Order: sequence, then C-alpha cells, then structure tokens
Amino acid sequence: MAYHPRENWNPASRRRLWSRRDVLKRASALGLLLPGMNSLLAACGEGISTPTGSTAAPGTTGAPGSTAVASTAPPTTLIPIPTPQNRITQPLFDDNPMIASGLSPEAGPLKIYNWDAYLNPDVLLRFEEEFKVKTELTTFFNEEEAIQKLASGELAFDIWFPTVEITSKVVAGKLIQPLNHDYLPNLVNVWPWLADPYYDVGSQYTVPYTVYQTGIGWRTDLVDSADVENLANPWDVFWNSKYKGLVGLYDDFEETLQVAMFRAGIQDPTKAGQADLDAAAAALAELVDLVDIRYTIDGAYDGIPQGKFGLHHAWSGDMVNAQYYFPDGADTNGVLRYLWPANAPGSQSKALIGNDMLAVLRTAEHPVLGHAFMNWFLDPEISLLNFSWVGYQHPQVTVNPDSLVADGYVPDYMASAVVREEDFSNSQAYISTQLDPQTELMWVDAWTTAKAGV
Amino acid sequence: MGRRLDHGESRRLTRLSGPTGEIARQWLWRGLALPGVLWLLAFFLVPFYAIFAVAMGGLDPIFLSATPEWNPLEWDFGTFTSVVGDFFAGPLGTTALRTLIYVLVACAACLLVGYPVAYFVSRRAGRRKGLFLVALVAPFWINYLMRMLAWVNLLGRDGQVNSALGSLNLPTPDWLAGRPVTVILGLVYGYIPFFILPLYAALDRIDSNVIQAARDLGAGPRQAFTRVTLPLSRQGILAGLVLIMLPMFGDYYTPNLLSGSPRTRMIGNDIDQFVNGTVTAGAKGASTTIVLMAFVALLMGYYLVSVTRSTREAS
Repeated sequence: MAYHPRENWNPASRRRLWSRRDVLKRASALGLLLPGMNSLLAACGEGISTPTGSTAAPGTTGAPGSTAVASTAPPTTLIPIPTPQNRITQPLFDDNPMIASGLSPEAGPLKIYNWDAYLNPDVLLRFEEEFKVKTELTTFFNEEEAIQKLASGELAFDIWFPTVEITSKVVAGKLIQPLNHDYLPNLVNVWPWLADPYYDVGSQYTVPYTVYQTGIGWRTDLVDSADVENLANPWDVFWNSKYKGLVGLYDDFEETLQVAMFRAGIQDPTKAGQADLDAAAAALAELVDLVDIRYTIDGAYDGIPQGKFGLHHAWSGDMVNAQYYFPDGADTNGVLRYLWPANAPGSQSKALIGNDMLAVLRTAEHPVLGHAFMNWFLDPEISLLNFSWVGYQHPQVTVNPDSLVADGYVPDYMASAVVREEDFSNSQAYISTQLDPQTELMWVDAWTTAKAGV
Repeated sequence: MGRRLDHGESRRLTRLSGPTGEIARQWLWRGLALPGVLWLLAFFLVPFYAIFAVAMGGLDPIFLSATPEWNPLEWDFGTFTSVVGDFFAGPLGTTALRTLIYVLVACAACLLVGYPVAYFVSRRAGRRKGLFLVALVAPFWINYLMRMLAWVNLLGRDGQVNSALGSLNLPTPDWLAGRPVTVILGLVYGYIPFFILPLYAALDRIDSNVIQAARDLGAGPRQAFTRVTLPLSRQGILAGLVLIMLPMFGDYYTPNLLSGSPRTRMIGNDIDQFVNGTVTAGAKGASTTIVLMAFVALLMGYYLVSVTRSTREAS
C-alpha cells in the first residue's frame, strides 16, 4: 500500500503514521475537539499542529500569538505541541467532567502511580495520618509502559506523575481529568511561571510536581573545575581527552543528543534538521575513543560519588542527592560540583530546564481524595519533606531557594544545583519540549548511530 | 512365574494390538499432546504474531506509541525493510556483528571451561558427584542481575580484583571502562551453568562399557576421548550451546552493567532502546527482534537437523 507524503508517509523513515481514513475515524471516535474540523481536515493533507492560542510566557522571547511549528517542520501530530512560545489551553470534554465542588474526600485507599523512588515514603505516612486513609503506591518503569497500561482502562489509580512532554497526549486521550480548583487553594504557593504553565494554561489538568535542570556534575579531586567553569561553552568539557575514562553521559537519547547540539551552538534542538542530527551523532561517536564514553542513568548520583566517573551529565536533583552515595567512611569533603551551563558566566550555550507534574486520572475511584492529596502536596512544609528525600525541588513561592542551603537541605558546595524561578526565564534556558513523532524517529536513528560504537 | 491375564485385560490388549488398536493408540498420544500444542499456540505463536503485528503496524494517533496491525493485508513493511537495510549497511549491522563475535567468543570460552568441569563431575567425581552438582546449580539460586552487580563492585577501579592484582604488582586496569573482555567474561560467568548442566547429563549417560571397549581395542586415553566420548557428547555440547546462545544474543544488561560504553553495545541494547527508551520506535524494536529471531532460528534449525540425524543414526 502506498502513501502520499502528505498523508504522513515519511520516505526517510518509511514509516506510516496514519492514513487519512485513520485520522478521521480515530479522531472522531475519540471526540478530538482540536480547534475545529477544518484544522483536522487540513491535517490529512499536511499534518497538523493545532495550538489553541498562544501568548508568550513571562520572560520568554516568543512573539505573542505566534505558533510553534514552522512550515518547514516535518509532518507532525494531531496533538498540539506546547512550547513557551505556543501556550496551550488544553481542551475540555463533555464526557470527561471535573468533579463537583463541596464533596468530602472518599475513604480511600488513595492509589498512586509513580516513578520508582520519586516520592518520600514519610510523605505518604504523614498523609495517611492526617487524612486517616491508606495509600497504595504502584511504580512504573517508564512512561511508555505507564501510558499503555493506563490507556487500557483496566487500572484505576487516583494520582499519576506524568512529564510535561506528554500533557497534550494524555489530555486528548482523556487519561486525566480536569481539576476543580476549589479543592486546590494551595496552588497559590506555586511559582507563577508554573501555576499558569505554557503546557496547560490555567492548570486545568495538572499541577507542577518538581523542577530540574540538566547540567554537568563533577568531582574536584578528579576534574579541574576551571576546565568546566571557564569554558565559553561548558558542554565542551565532555570532549576533553584529559578526562579519558572518567566521562559519562545520560543514556537518554533526547537529553544526550541535546548536549551535542548545544555544544554545536544549536539554540532549539526540536528544529534540528537531518544534518544537525548527523553532526550530533558523529560528535557523540567521537567520544568513544576520545574519552572512553559510558552511558548510564545512575552515573551522576551514584557513579560520581563511587568514583566510577569524575565527570557526568547531571540532573540537578541527582547532584543534590549524590552526597548520600559516597562509600561508607569516605571523606567527601565537598568534592562535588554542579554547573548548569545556561548559568555559566559569559556562557552562550543553551541548557535544559523542566518540571514534572501531578494529575488525577480520569478512572480515579477517589478523585476528591486525589485533589486533597494534590493540594496537600502543594503545602510548603510537605514539599520540603519530599525534597529532603527525592532531591528534586518543588516550585514553592514560600520556599526561598537560598534557605535550602542555609537550612541544610542542600550542601553549600551544591548551591548551584538549586533551581530558581528566574532560571525558566534565562535567555539560555531551553524548556523541555515534546518532539513530534517524525522528528523523534529521526532522533532515534541518530542515537542508534551514535551508540553503535563505530 | 507371570500372572495370567484376566478376560478384560486380554480383550483390551487384543483391541490395542490390532489395526484398530494402532489407530486408537495414535489418537491417545495425540490427545495427550494436545494440551502442550495448545500451550505453544497460546504462549509462543500468538506473541510471535503480535511482534509481527507491531513491526508492521502503525502509530496510535493520540499517544504516538506503536499499535499492532492484526490484519496481514494491511501490514506496512516500511519499518521492517528499513531495519533490515540497517543490518546490512547501518549502525545495526555494526552492533549485530559485534554481538555475534561476543557470543561466539563467550561460547568458545564456555566450551573450554565448561567441558572439563562437566566431564569431571560426570565421570570422575565419584561419591562427591552430588556435592558438585549442587555447587553447579547453586548460582541459579541467585538472580542473574544480582550476580552481575556483585561483579560491578569486584571489578571497580578500587575493587577487590584490582586490589588483588595490585598486591601482586600486576597492572590494575579499569575493568568497567568499556572493555570488551569484561563483557565477554560477564557473559561467560552468567551463562556457563546453563552450558554445563545439559553437557553433564549427556556425558553421564555415556555407557562406560563403550569407552572400555575402545580401550580394549587398543585406543589410548586420548583416542578414546576424541573418538568415543567427544562424539557421544556432541548432542550435549549442542544443547548447551543452544541454551546459552539464545539468551546471549538478546542480552543487554550484561553490557549495561559491566560497561555502558558504545564500544561494547550489543543488539539487545538497541532493542531495549527502541522499546523502552522511546515512545515512537516500538515498531523498530519489534522489527529488530524479528531479524534477530530469524538469525537465531537458523541456529535452532541446525540444532534440530543435527538432533534428528543423530537419532536416526542411533536407531
């Protein structure tokens, strides 16, 4: 069966996304009320990007009213892709209503679906004591697995922890329900930038969970700090052969290809073309012989303190937690350091920043209790309790980032790993953004090439 | 003195020994095989077909995850042919070739190390055979992942292995810095019990009178081994190799834990990446799995032909 390229047949990957018939059949079956049927029909011809209006977020450089996807972008998705320049008000559906106001929380148990080790067990105990209910925590390995299981409709969890990148998908797929803000008075505690976020204007479906940056972590006894901090582009340090055998990057195709692209000066990796991706893959492949590169997920928080790495691609929260992973009896003596390249003095390089979210599932059996949990989590004291264990901050207005160091939550040598609201408005900040499916497949191919170890 | 058959038994035997009895016996055995056949259909063929359906399927328009296409008439071979192309002239080919080399070297090492062990336990261990067998089975009590994690600590830059080497004034390499030898040794360590056990069973079944006869006919110990013991244990070697090769081809956690370097990446890492590391590349993962299965099927085919030939020769 042949497909016209305008029917989302991509000759590069030779991968069919969906046919014109599929689009109409599935979209109408799902009641996708993306802005108007005209847009939907247009999608059959050219692929669609259907934002529902856009106003640049505070501090961002996007032009108000602009749409995110350039006309030269590859065919995209039915689902609008939010960016700070393309703020999305998520649609509401008649068959997915929010709960009524004034209801009492159910008797529980509150069923929570979360990543592993991403919630302080003491927080759950406190919630159980305070609300006199039981909680049940189930974990998932990755988001793909979580979506597959939730989409089956067989699981009835109340609270879920999705990432920003999938917001539009899970709203359109009606996996999560709209929130009734009458139950969320603590939403005022959230940083304004995230209380009304670009991916869910008005926080109709989600509230922020934790925030993070992606930067560089290292040990001062193995790596000269000047070799990181004094670079015009700090990402260059991963290509410093002086540290052969000590260098690690995250085993995450998006994050790590971004490193190579930020190093090459690309400002918006989602707009990268095939040549940019090929160059990024080649640059990463170069690391195999240059520094004996290794790809891990635990290399920052565990590998650096254990001495397996001197230098690693690092999420800010991982570096906050790394202090607890030194071998027993080791003299840590403040050897850990972290730099978010966007904050480096004089740096011209981009660096990622983002946040995760809390949502109440549409199939929740205890939605009022779920709202209560969400609101309770937005309390500064509970947020700090959770931060003290997971290492990732909550975007709380009442928590002064400086006090996190002063109060001992973060060691002073790791003060640079504290995320601030203004970091989201930093001109060098790159906000975590969903890739459209065709682009994601191009990235996967580039990543496969980079990791083939040729 | 034998018992005289009663009338009923005699009638039943008569019924089963005639032509009608032969047919009844055949149906009896077919009936007994039916549950196994149904089991295979349910738990092998259906998942097998599902992999094809995903590889040739599409993407969910909402969640962008791979969705199976159950109707073969609607199959889209684009991803599959693209993946096959990648095996011949792309990054998957490099990884597949590396995987093949690692698996062959690891299998050779298992054969070199495992055969003497199996031989010793089956033919020389005497009364302590049971003890040795328990020792061979003991690794199964500990999860494979746990055993590999233990090696991560042992092989660390300041681990016990390097401490021991250092105390002997020998070089102390960084074993976990992407060394192929570490990954291959990890594969050997992880899978060698699966090789030794079927080989032990095959060696244990060899009638010692056959070997004795060879000796009586003038064969020396070496000749008796190469011309009698080794050929008779061939099926055990093949069974052991098949048992360890199949999981080795799909292994991804050994290189992940003991290296993490692209230099030691195996094809299982690519499949893991496609399936678990991305949302949209599930069909690539399924397609890569099909190509890998086709290759592994060749090995299985050789094994089955070999077993059939041996059975025919034996009868």
